[in-house]
Amino acid sequence: MIVKYLLAALVAGLFSGVVMTAAQEARVIPLILHAEEFEGEEGDPAATGTEAPQTTHEHSSLRSAPSLADITAYFSPISVAHAHEGEHEDGGIMFGMSRFSGTLLANLVTGTGFALLLAGVSLLTGNAITVANGALWGAAGWLAVHLLPAIGLPPELPGFPAADLGARQAWWIVTVVLSGAGLYLLILKSGIAAKVAGIGLIAAPQVYGAPQPSDLSSNVPAVLGAEFAVAALATTLFFWIVLGLSLGFANEKIAKAAR
Amino acid sequence: MAVSNVSSVSLSLSDRLVAGLVALLLGGFLVFGAGLANSSVLHDTAHDTRHSYGFPCH
Repeated sequence: MIVKYLLAALVAGLFSGVVMTAAQEARVIPLILHAEEFEGEEGDPAATGTEAPQTTHEHSSLRSAPSLADITAYFSPISVAHAHEGEHEDGGIMFGMSRFSGTLLANLVTGTGFALLLAGVSLLTGNAITVANGALWGAAGWLAVHLLPAIGLPPELPGFPAADLGARQAWWIVTVVLSGAGLYLLILKSGIAAKVAGIGLIAAPQVYGAPQPSDLSSNVPAVLGAEFAVAALATTLFFWIVLGLSLGFANEKIAKAAR
Repeated sequence: MAVSNVSSVSLSLSDRLVAGLVALLLGGFLVFGAGLANSSVLHDTAHDTRHSYGFPCH
């Protein structure tokens, strides 16, 4: 029985990961590729203002209609590795996959991970996720994992100025955990003390403040950054609502089968 | 399965806690690996995903 609930999360997570990949390709990836054209231009004032040289991958569907060869290369498991030339000598995409395959794989893993976390909270607190409340569970997950941390650390494009990675990751993890706990107290616990404690937990990391970079200059245009922040938050909200609904659906299937 | 909870989760209390903890640990491990782990190969594979999800990156 335990395994069945974990399987429900697995199915919902994989499904949401696939759906998220489509949403990302439509709204987010073109902006990342665009920003990468500006990345690594520092110290070359002649290059700014002119059209940046073409980077090696042009997967964006917004630019031109892809040829058949482009489409096959897109799904091919074997392709030229990309990613920040010279930044990581020993990097490269796992198993020599194409950039798209790597993103799809990462989305499947991330989707499954978030689905398991959501299911875990539901099981531990004894509040079942159903189709009726699935979208609300998803929205709460999005608040805890994306919107509330984004107040301190907005979604960044490649080439954006940022503080020390370890410090940002630590603040991010603490904020997600505190926000999740705060939302639990606020939404699922009754009593004025629980509500106040919930708001306090949510506010604490924001009052403490996220690590900020000392130098804010960047080659990436600010408009791209604004578009990206909105696109990233919108697609993740979509992902979490799909995840909550599909997890509720899978849970109800299991409950029905167990009867 | 004889014990019924207030919720419609049809597990006994101890089963429910075990399932919840396993789910949290497994889910945390997967999200950490895809989103936060400091490995070049993992970073490059999940690069676009990390940015899209707003994980701290670079």
